[in-house]
Amino acid sequence: MTETREVTAERGPFFFKRELGKEEGEYKLVGREIERPDAFSKIMGLTKFTADRLTEDVCFGKIVRSKYPHALIKRVIVDEALQIKGVLAVITAKDVPGENQIGYAIPDQPLLADKKVRYIGEPIAIVVAENEYAAEKGVEAVKVEYDPLPAVFDPLEALKPEAPKVHEKGNVALTTIIRKGDVEKGFKEADVVVENIYYTQRQEHAYLEPEAAIAYPEGDGIRVVLCTQSPFLVREFVSRVTGYSQSKIKVIGAPAGGAFGGKDDMGPMVASKAALAAIITKKPVAIILDKEETFVASNKRHPAIIRYKSGATKDGKLTAVEIEIIYETGAYANRSPFVLWRATVHSAGPYVVPNAKVDGKSVYTNKVFSGSFRGFGDPQIHFAAEQQMDELAEKLGIDPVEFRLRNVLKEGTRTVCNQLLEESVGMEETLKKVAEAANWKKKREELKKYRKGSKVRGIGVACAYHGISTSRGVPDWSAAAVLLNEDGTITYRSTITRLGQGSLIGHAKIVAEILDIPLEWVHIEEPDTSASPNARPTHGSRGLMTGGTAAADAALKLRRTLIKLASELLNCDEKNVKLENGKAFCALDPSNKIEFSELAKETYQRGYQPAYYGFYFVPRRYFDPETGLGVAYCVYTYIANIVEVEVDKETGEVKVLEAYTGADVGKAIDPGLIEGQMQGALAQGIGYAISEEVAFNDGKIINPNYTDYIIPTVKDVPRKVKVVIIEKPYSSTAFGAKGVAEAALIPTAPAIANAVAHATGVRVRNLPLTKEKVCFKLKEGKK
Amino acid sequence: MQVNTQEIIISFTLNGEKVVKNVQPNWTLLDLLRKKLRVRSPKEGCLRGDCGACTVLLNGKPVNSCLVLAPKVDGATIVTVEGLKGDPVFEALKETFAEKGAVQCGFCTPGMILSAKYLLDRKKNPTQEEIEEAIEGNLCRCTGYIKIVEAIKEAAKKLI
Repeated sequence: MTETREVTAERGPFFFKRELGKEEGEYKLVGREIERPDAFSKIMGLTKFTADRLTEDVCFGKIVRSKYPHALIKRVIVDEALQIKGVLAVITAKDVPGENQIGYAIPDQPLLADKKVRYIGEPIAIVVAENEYAAEKGVEAVKVEYDPLPAVFDPLEALKPEAPKVHEKGNVALTTIIRKGDVEKGFKEADVVVENIYYTQRQEHAYLEPEAAIAYPEGDGIRVVLCTQSPFLVREFVSRVTGYSQSKIKVIGAPAGGAFGGKDDMGPMVASKAALAAIITKKPVAIILDKEETFVASNKRHPAIIRYKSGATKDGKLTAVEIEIIYETGAYANRSPFVLWRATVHSAGPYVVPNAKVDGKSVYTNKVFSGSFRGFGDPQIHFAAEQQMDELAEKLGIDPVEFRLRNVLKEGTRTVCNQLLEESVGMEETLKKVAEAANWKKKREELKKYRKGSKVRGIGVACAYHGISTSRGVPDWSAAAVLLNEDGTITYRSTITRLGQGSLIGHAKIVAEILDIPLEWVHIEEPDTSASPNARPTHGSRGLMTGGTAAADAALKLRRTLIKLASELLNCDEKNVKLENGKAFCALDPSNKIEFSELAKETYQRGYQPAYYGFYFVPRRYFDPETGLGVAYCVYTYIANIVEVEVDKETGEVKVLEAYTGADVGKAIDPGLIEGQMQGALAQGIGYAISEEVAFNDGKIINPNYTDYIIPTVKDVPRKVKVVIIEKPYSSTAFGAKGVAEAALIPTAPAIANAVAHATGVRVRNLPLTKEKVCFKLKEGKK
Repeated sequence: MQVNTQEIIISFTLNGEKVVKNVQPNWTLLDLLRKKLRVRSPKEGCLRGDCGACTVLLNGKPVNSCLVLAPKVDGATIVTVEGLKGDPVFEALKETFAEKGAVQCGFCTPGMILSAKYLLDRKKNPTQEEIEEAIEGNLCRCTGYIKIVEAIKEAAKKLI
């Protein structure tokens, strides 16, 4: 394996300190919590979500969906629908001018099913009408004649040779592999070996705002406004489906009412349909899913079956893991190649494991497709890995935190993929700090007192790590633009989107810090593919790390220009020019100064370049997909969660009483926003652990609403949540920042399962930990 | 929406102003507010009374406007955040929600604030349980509720 390092400009904290001539403590914005500039407009309901942009002239598209989980389409009869007053068009596969193909990594998914449907809810036709009511009536009037086929709903069934084939080439969408060291030898060296099977369920994103897109025909092109995580990906898909060149497509990323990965996958699909409808009818068309459609037809977190065998020596060192991973992708592969690879390369957890044999399979079934969801394959695999760690610790008689500390990844160690970790590895510190905050040792003992009566308490820990940006050497980059206006204000452009996480606020802080101007002077433009540089998607916790580093690149270029200009204007050597509080002055004589607005005007007057494009290319190195060895990600965020739970042994109810969540984020650009991300991810993780599961009956989702699909309310989250931020800066990014948005969700479910085991002595290896499952396990345990 | 049924004339007070409007009997209050009166702070989330994003104050009490038929509000008083400028409880909540970072995507926020206002209008010093009761019907998928509860507590303190 080669480990040649691709040369990138050094950034990181030391670079910025030197470049800005400041100590970290002197930063005015970076590292400090600020009040969100967009809070008031959201509170007042002034923020324009996609549906808030509807005007009277906009027509509506509604989708005809498959009623069968697996069937051939014989005919789609649209005549009756076209008779309905107000119906303008019924669009089917044959009307798609470009490619009827929206497969993300594998071309296996049509925009509109033509020959075959593979899940209940699959789009077959779009009815476009002047109003919603007519569109709905039109959907009812479209007749689809099916030839039903046998369907397969279980991934293990799907793997059998006699199973119905969801796709012609078979039911395995793809496989992954890691072969490292010698697992046989590794298990021989082990004093204890633990082997178990873990099951995880489908989770729905359940963002409050449904997927929505409005497409407007404009001149010889089209404009699409939608809640999305990647305007440029939307543009690519719209181009593919409509046949329009990318330059004729303008995609605006509206603020999203939550996204969590769902709108990464759904954005291009909904936008392509709206664009198609607008092009065919020559009218602006909105497609807004209703809540039930969201549940039925949007991508879900992959359900998983994981067989996990791990061994350790009696002095508490891991020797080997052997893991089989099955991720159910449903009807289409969608993001599965990326999700499964992520799970595979993180499969040993954040620990040193010398010998590993890992085999992953992504399997088709006749259910709604799986895809992106906060954590992206890592919550499932950590649910298994982290319970294994607890069981090994228990068998060895070592405290679970101590056992983890003996194995954690550190600088200079290698991951399960044999990736050498050179820097920014904060697992040990994070775990130690979180254990300290939770008063782990004392609590772990004390809670044993709560063993009498029906309500018992326990405390559990789980760690995780999560690679940022793309995996396996897949190129990733980001871009941004900084424009100095003549009055000294800044126009900032990026296509990182506004999902509530606040990445763009982080970008603006970075720009303002570098130029040393008030944050209010930086105006964040709406993401727009015709005006903003391609920052690439807002996923993989990359929005701040990659987008913010591109922002820094642009701001630094402007800063250097302004210093040069100020040197000329102040007649002061460049090295003595300071930018501070919206002014430039000469360090030798601070009274020799110029206001930022004046500087801006002179930039234009004297012919200096006033706008800069910033670019960041993520460092990447060699990865061998044949062995699963190499550099899987440029850098990782390390996470530890500790939770205290109360289990009602009568009812099986699990309640999280307290939670401590910590992450090594590299550098906290805004600790308040990080806290918000971690608290929110924790709550979503609690839902995943305890109550959330998309339920099916013969391929039909039977709980497509918030009444039956239970996401946490204020009463389901712990009253005490402590967020611990650890900073082990990364030398490649702005100020050393890494990503954090997904982090806290990943180890939440295993921490809860470990706490339940501590409280009750029984272990539930099947998510979610519902009352029924916990009760059943408790009864089984008594036998 | 465009059914051929008899339209009904209703009049009600919206954010302090008298509104007279022809409505279809099957319109919901949410339809009426968002689509006909262009009041955008109540959000269309689930349309079945589960999520609380469409919360408005109907005669002072928080209701899911997606579950109220428009003709039912004849003679009623409707308040949304658009109509609360200057209201001391609202102003306090507005400040503390921003200060405490209780706003992420913002989709649940106007509804959440109305539920919190209803609580603080009646309770000067609400307990944790009372706050939880008050916003239990308002789902938030972003924040984990921690900062929202903090913001409501802080607003209560400011108002004393």
